[in-house]
Amino acid sequence: MENLKIGATKYTPEISFDCEKNILDIIGESYPENIAEFYAPVFKWLEQYIEQLKNDQNVTINMELIYFNSSSSKVLLDFLDILEQAVKNGKHIAVNWIYEEEDEDTLEFGEEFQEDFEILDINLVQKKG
Amino acid sequence: MVGKLYDFRQELGRQGIFFCFSGPVSQDLLVEFGDILKQKILHGESSNSIALRVFSMVVEQAQNIIHYSAEKCVKNDSEGEERELSIGIIAVGYEGEHYFVVSGNMIEEENVEGLRNRLAKLQKMDKNELKKHYKEERKKGPAITSKGAGLGFIDMAKKASKPIEFDFKKIDDKFSFFSSRTVI
Repeated sequence: MENLKIGATKYTPEISFDCEKNILDIIGESYPENIAEFYAPVFKWLEQYIEQLKNDQNVTINMELIYFNSSSSKVLLDFLDILEQAVKNGKHIAVNWIYEEEDEDTLEFGEEFQEDFEILDINLVQKKG
Repeated sequence: MVGKLYDFRQELGRQGIFFCFSGPVSQDLLVEFGDILKQKILHGESSNSIALRVFSMVVEQAQNIIHYSAEKCVKNDSEGEERELSIGIIAVGYEGEHYFVVSGNMIEEENVEGLRNRLAKLQKMDKNELKKHYKEERKKGPAITSKGAGLGFIDMAKKASKPIEFDFKKIDDKFSFFSSRTVI
């Protein structure tokens, strides 16, 4: 399969999914007017990727969102849900939830996602100055 | 009107309002407003985390107008395609050491009761109840194909320092004007 690359805009994040290195990055801001239109290809890629993923491969997901709106928060939950299911099926996936030093709200979102998932590894990572 | 514009501006100033927009609300307006906030941070008038909260309130309220306002107009976009825009009013101010965001738009009379009940319920919740409610609603929220996730008001209530104030003004048999005020 091919890598997925979508450049950032003012209200959508950069998507950089590398299926050779098994590193998936979502970086930037997320508050599109039409949430479905933007994320549909992202979910489609993710589902195909997990289907072909072998159990001995280690996957790293980096989520570095400076700001996201409430409907993006729902999308992120659905995204993590797919990952949790994959882990239940024997895949090895770790999520880095990256936040800025003084950004309590993004940290709190990360903590709440940790509470929501049983076996998916979500690491809270403070961004270095 | 031209003679009264200064008075209008003075009145906004008295209310502590430093940004006010009335008309068709678009995503571009949000980007513009985000830039105004970044300037405030640069000049040390606001911290990064407070500015992000103000921005998030503006985004949620503006997108509520975009998705749910009952008043629309049609505009041609840069590619000449006709686009429907939603009309509303949004203002941001600073009062008593807190930022606040007020917004308003027309809604259909049949949606007034549902919205009133939802907001009244949120007003009574404390921070822990809001957090729990947010998580539950997010889990059962609609599929990705929906316009929004219906989480906007809960998110705002969670981030606000006071319960969200709201009002419905009956315009005629079909429409009411909905307004809300959130304090950061």
